Amino acid sequence: MSIKIVKPAVVTTLVSDGREGFRSLGIGPGGAMDYFAMKTANFLVGNDREAVLEMGYSSVEILFHEGGLISITGKGFDAFVNDEVATMWRPFKIKPNARLIFKKKSKGAWIYLAIHGGWKAQEWLHSFTTNLHAETGGFNGRTLQKGDILERNKTEVIATDERSMPWGISTNELSEVYSSPDIIRCISSAETDLMHGTSKEKFVSSGFTLTSQCNRMGYRLTGDPLFLGEKVELVSSPVDFGTVQLLPDGNPIVLMADHQTTGGYPRIASVVKADLCKLSQKMPGDKINFKMIPFQEAEEGLVSREQKLKEIKESCHLRIKKHFRQ
Amino acid sequence: MASNHSIVPLNETTALVSFGDNIDLDVNERIIALHHTVTNNPFQGFVESAPAYSSLAVFFRLPIRFGTVKKILETHIKSSESLESHGSAIEVPVLYDGDDLDVVAQQHQLSREEVISIHAAKLYRVFMLGFLPGFPYMGTVDQRIATARKNSPRTLVPAGSVGIAGIQTGIYPQSSPGGWQLIGRTPLKIFNAKKELPCLLKPGDSVKFYSITRLEFEKLNEY
Repeated sequence: MSIKIVKPAVVTTLVSDGREGFRSLGIGPGGAMDYFAMKTANFLVGNDREAVLEMGYSSVEILFHEGGLISITGKGFDAFVNDEVATMWRPFKIKPNARLIFKKKSKGAWIYLAIHGGWKAQEWLHSFTTNLHAETGGFNGRTLQKGDILERNKTEVIATDERSMPWGISTNELSEVYSSPDIIRCISSAETDLMHGTSKEKFVSSGFTLTSQCNRMGYRLTGDPLFLGEKVELVSSPVDFGTVQLLPDGNPIVLMADHQTTGGYPRIASVVKADLCKLSQKMPGDKINFKMIPFQEAEEGLVSREQKLKEIKESCHLRIKKHFRQ
Repeated sequence: MASNHSIVPLNETTALVSFGDNIDLDVNERIIALHHTVTNNPFQGFVESAPAYSSLAVFFRLPIRFGTVKKILETHIKSSESLESHGSAIEVPVLYDGDDLDVVAQQHQLSREEVISIHAAKLYRVFMLGFLPGFPYMGTVDQRIATARKNSPRTLVPAGSVGIAGIQTGIYPQSSPGGWQLIGRTPLKIFNAKKELPCLLKPGDSVKFYSITRLEFEKLNEY
C-alpha cells in the first residue's frame, strides 16, 4: 500500500509524538504543530503513536495506489475524494486509485492525514517525527516532495464495504478545543517581570499580528513594541514549544514545534499548552490577543485536555474493535 | 554551599531551576550535577532535564504537578552539594583557516598565529548544548581574542566550523545560518545521526583544540 504525492503542501512532513530525552544534547522534541489534530487523526483509525502526514499552508493532491481506512483532521482546508467532499474528523475508507485533494481555505494552517497502521517512517531516537535540522526521522529526514511515494506499515487489511465509519469527533468537541480562536491564553514565565509596566499591560491589551516569518520553528508577531524595564544581557537558557520571547526590536516571537532547545532572549510568557493547537492554526496576517491567566487555571486546562484525548482514544479504539470484530 | 536559586514554571509541565544569569564554571558545575541527580533518580512523571549555562529545565508529565516537582528539586539541590565531575576530556583537531581569523586578529592587534595559539592553549568546558542538535557552547575564551558576533549573520556556515562569540567558542554540528566569528574547522563529525550516540560532546565535558595542517585535515576529514 502506498500513496503518491502528486502535489505537496509548502511544508509536508511526517510527524508523531515528540522525541523526548535528548534536549540536553540540543535535540528538541519536534512533533506536530497541532497536537490535538495529530493525535485525534491517529485515534480515529485505531492508531496511537504512529506517524501522521502533516501538511501546511497550501493545497495538496495525493493519489492512493490502494485503498485503506484513513482520517483527516486539522483546520484551513476542504478535503475532496475524486471531487466529492470528504468528511473530516471521521474515519472513512478510501478506494484504490482515488485522488485526495486538500484545497486551502481561510482560517487554519495545518491538516493531518492518518492511515490505519500508520505511515512507514524512519525511527530516530525513539520517535518517528522528522528532524529537519539533523535530516533524520520521518520521511528520510526531509519534507515530502512532488512524486514521492509514501508507504504504509504492514497491517491487517480492514475488510468492509462501508465508506464512512459511524464514529468521529463532534462539532461540540471541536469547539471546546478551537473556540475563541483569536484569544491565546498565557501564563507568566521566567522573565515576565523584566518587562516595563506599561509593556506588560500592552502585551494583553493590544493585539498582535502574525508576520510572514512564521514556520514550524516559530511565529514572529508584530504589534505595539514592548520594552524591558532596563536593558539586560541574558545567557542562553532553556525554552519550549509555546515560550514567548521578546526580540530586541520589541516584537514577540512564539516558539513552535521545531523550536531550538535554548535561547537568549527574555522569556516574557508561555502560551498555555491547551491553546497551542489554536495558535498553530493561525496564518500570517491573522490577529491574536494574549490573555494572562493564573498558573492553576492553565494546569486545570491541561488536565482536562489530556483527559479529553484519553477519552477519544479509548472510545475510538473500542469502536474500531467492535466494528471489525470477526 | 549557600544556595541562591529560584524554581519557577517555564510552563505547566516544566520547572526551571536557576542559579543566576552568568557564565561561571562553579554555577554550571552545580547545574550539571543537578541534571545528573535528577536524571539518575527520576521521579514518577519525569520526562527529561536540560542544562544550560546557569539554569536547568526539568520536564515532566501529568499527573504530577509543578508544586510537587519543585519540592523534589529542592531536596535534590540540598543533597547534591558534594560535586563530582561528570565530563570526559576530548581533543579536537582544527585547521585554523576560518574566514574571520583576520577579523579577530585585527580587532585585537594580534597576528593570525597568536590568535591560533591563544585559542588552542586553553582547556574549554562544554557548558551546554543548544541552538542546533549537538552544538556545544564552550568557554571561556581568553579576553585577548574574545570577539562579539558578526552584526549580520552568514546565511550558511558549513558543518564543522569553529567559531567565537564573545567569551564563548563553539562548533557547528550541521551547516546552518550563523553569526559566530569563524576561525577554523574541524575534520571531526561532532554530530552523526547514524550513531547510537549522535553527539561527540555532552554538557560537562572538556575540550582541547589543537592546530593541524591542511594535509592532516584531509586525512582526518569525516565529512
